[in-house]
Amino acid sequence: MSKDELNIKDNTSLFKEERYVQQRENKKQFEAPCSEQETAEALAYSKSAEYMEKNFNRQNVVINPHKACQPLGSVMAALGFEKTLPFVHGSQGCNAYFRSHLSRHFKEPTPSVSTSMTEDAAVFGGMNNLIDGLENSVALYKPEMVAICTTCMAEVIGDDLNSFIGNARIKGVISEEYPVAYCNTPSFVGSHITGYDAMIKGILSYLYTRSGIESKPGSGADSGEKLNVLLGFEPYTGNFAELRKILAAFDTKYTILGDHSGNYDSPATGEYEYYYGGTKLEDVPQAANALGTLSLQKYTLKKTQEYISGTWNQQISALSTPLGIKGTDQLLEAISELTGLPVPASLTEERGRVVDALMDSHPYLHGKRVALVGDPDLLIGLIGFCLETGMEPVHIVCSNGDVDYNEVKFKDEAEALLATSPYGSEATVHVGKDLWHMRSLLLNDTVDLAIGSSHLKFAAKDADVPLIRVGFPIFDRHHMHRYPIIGYQGTLNLLSLIVNTILQQLDDNHSGFNFELVR
Amino acid sequence: MKHSILSEGDEEPMDPVRKDEFDSEACGSIAPKAKPCPRPKPGEAAGGCSFDGAQITLLPIMDAAHLVHGPIACAGNSWESRGTLSSGPCLSQYGFATDLTDSDIIFGGEKKLKESIDYIAERFAPPAIFVYSTCVTALIGEDMDAVCKTAAERIGIPVIPVNSPGFVGSKNLGNRLAGDALLQYVIGTGEPEPLTPLGVNLIGEYNIAGEMWDIEKLMNSAGITVTSRITGDARYKEITWAHRAKVNMVVCSRALLGLAKEMESRYGIPYFEGSFYGAKETTYSLRQMAFLMNDREMERRVDRLTEREEARLSQDLRPYRKLLKGKRAVLYTGGVKSWSVISALKELGVQVVGVGTNKSTEDDVRRIADRVGDDTEYIPEGGASRIIKTVRERKADIMIAGGRNMYVAMKEQIPFIDINQERHKAYAGYEGLLRLAKELTYSLANPIWKLAASPAPWDKEAHPYDR
Repeated sequence: MSKDELNIKDNTSLFKEERYVQQRENKKQFEAPCSEQETAEALAYSKSAEYMEKNFNRQNVVINPHKACQPLGSVMAALGFEKTLPFVHGSQGCNAYFRSHLSRHFKEPTPSVSTSMTEDAAVFGGMNNLIDGLENSVALYKPEMVAICTTCMAEVIGDDLNSFIGNARIKGVISEEYPVAYCNTPSFVGSHITGYDAMIKGILSYLYTRSGIESKPGSGADSGEKLNVLLGFEPYTGNFAELRKILAAFDTKYTILGDHSGNYDSPATGEYEYYYGGTKLEDVPQAANALGTLSLQKYTLKKTQEYISGTWNQQISALSTPLGIKGTDQLLEAISELTGLPVPASLTEERGRVVDALMDSHPYLHGKRVALVGDPDLLIGLIGFCLETGMEPVHIVCSNGDVDYNEVKFKDEAEALLATSPYGSEATVHVGKDLWHMRSLLLNDTVDLAIGSSHLKFAAKDADVPLIRVGFPIFDRHHMHRYPIIGYQGTLNLLSLIVNTILQQLDDNHSGFNFELVR
Repeated sequence: MKHSILSEGDEEPMDPVRKDEFDSEACGSIAPKAKPCPRPKPGEAAGGCSFDGAQITLLPIMDAAHLVHGPIACAGNSWESRGTLSSGPCLSQYGFATDLTDSDIIFGGEKKLKESIDYIAERFAPPAIFVYSTCVTALIGEDMDAVCKTAAERIGIPVIPVNSPGFVGSKNLGNRLAGDALLQYVIGTGEPEPLTPLGVNLIGEYNIAGEMWDIEKLMNSAGITVTSRITGDARYKEITWAHRAKVNMVVCSRALLGLAKEMESRYGIPYFEGSFYGAKETTYSLRQMAFLMNDREMERRVDRLTEREEARLSQDLRPYRKLLKGKRAVLYTGGVKSWSVISALKELGVQVVGVGTNKSTEDDVRRIADRVGDDTEYIPEGGASRIIKTVRERKADIMIAGGRNMYVAMKEQIPFIDINQERHKAYAGYEGLLRLAKELTYSLANPIWKLAASPAPWDKEAHPYDR
């Protein structure tokens, strides 16, 4: 049948029809009793410098937040381990939110369960829910490990996970040997990145302690040749693949600690499994004997890094998300230093090709003013990338800064990085601010591009600035997370995304004489 | 056996009611025999919480401000995530939160709440502010009602506490608690303009993908006016005079039947449960409205309209019917859609071979039974895997369910249509049925299914599943 045989309109075009426009007009009688002029004035005021000042003086209400909560990060962390079931201790809705949030970003199912605490649990504590929940979920989903995180509710009433899990074993609901890792993650503290960190540390320390292995860094018979790699709260499955490609080029053995790319990028085979990929549980205690650890999100993984350098007594190279040429150079140098292996010629060649691509595009990037929103490590990477392409970061908003690493806070590092380049001289870094602050910034001091998650689209639309979707969550575009943004290949992807958006804009906004074939 | 781990989010496994008084009065007109709404089972992937449910019901009041009193995540994880469309104001889209931190948990967040309300009132001048409690604020004993009450007096606009913290129970209970808040604080507090023609309240229609607009157009063509939208694409003010309507139509019975019953006893407004999925149900609903309005002329207009629309539809559907005839579907949704979509599908020649019942009231189940054959399988418990099992066993051609069962269906290579709150297509009314026919055809006929089902050319092994 021809596609247009019947002209059935979707809601995008249908509601532009006269009768619906009329209907909308009729409804205005119910709306706020002010004239169109007053509405226009209020809108104009909300875009003014005077309002921006008031907006920035706002103390109590958060408008359009740009962070998720700790247990959401914990669920993602738990999915990085083989046959591990994320288990959320609290009321049921939290788990539903985490699952839909993660699934909307990755377009994949998210297996995770809840203890479904209700009013009686609020009064008597959630122990019975936890014990019943362990019994039910282990029987139904047959995980090889359960990874429990808490929510606000469990934390406010002060549930003691350690003793509850102990009681579950005493009651025989799970055996003495059955692995159950846990962490405390109330959402009134931290954000998704601290929750990610808490669960990774929880799993590493739990599996290591119970194994009875004593860490001897760099001295294990076989494992001493291995490198540990942590990617952190990583919304890009493509970044795992890119890192594997780089490590393969080095020809080093490695263990990724927390690899959720399998769960979030599984093939369509016609049959769904619960568990795809993930770090093998037996590899975790062995990781204590590794050559050293490479961490790609130093602010995110603060506690995990402390644990690894302290308890495992291991050398750590902690970077922020390696974006751009320099960011990737640092990554390769870190791998080289930790493993003692030289940087392979193939990567040097790839570097040259991407530098060539950056040169090809540089006339379109130079001097472009950019607004950035994201998690701390991503922002450090993005700032570095902007500076090396001649783009000028102007507004930088980080709702979940100011995490510190080795007593350097995110804001300090970001400002120090910006100060290394004349292209960073206009930038201001706003920590703990939300997207309504960003809206004021975009409207008062205009930029050419905004870079951030889908949530930024409203402010970007208000300010008529094109949005490059980078980070988490990306709900309204498909497959972004399948392409890497780290490494040289990732740099090329990011470059194409940005430069082609700019070129599209040139085509869209041409005034006739400059609708050119060659750009 | 695979189980309900995969079911996700909003429209999912239904859904306990924790307050006994709701059991008899709001779960359908037949009093349930046993516990109709079992408590959520720990260790499964339960659906949304009461906080979620309350927001779903009230967020479509588009010109109001909706402030979440709690830690950041309850707002941060939920703002702007439903497809409920607005024809004008969009304040409802803003994610407002008090963002409580650990020191607020110890010292209390009432001051923060008060200042947040003041800020929103001053900056955004909404007609009303809805304030939602969360697990945390309920547990630490915030006196939200008092803060809202004094704030309302201070700023001179209604500030409505919605006491529906997540832990009190299911999303469904939250819908009802939101209905309670409307009864207690909104309905009956305003009066329509003297010349406003009064008509029908649409209750439990959230204007997903703009369905409300198609419905309104139909009603208006028959001369029936909408008095209040509770709450799809609603304005605060129109809900204040909902008690002046002549008829209540309950579109989603699971959510807000209690509200209609209470309005009947308080204000003497007759109500009926109806649907706009499928031509038959649409015609029935319009007729029912005119009948309860007790207006003969209106009834005649409805008859003329429905006859004309049905005739045109039947003509337009012809090519689709040919393609859809004999196709088998598994339907997994809740409330009104569980039975009315069956009607719609039957009109298209599609046979429903499996249907979810765990989110349906006893009335719903009876209506399902009236509409399906004996060999239709009832799916009493949640979970995409359970649904998929039915698809396989009953050799269904397509799965019709909520958006978050979609990714599992894709993994299993099953053609899929999203019928729940994340859909982007409006399926209500006569035109909606055409859209449904078109979407079914597209989903079934897409070449990707053949490609997905055939192994790579060098892989000699046959595909394990041959549908």
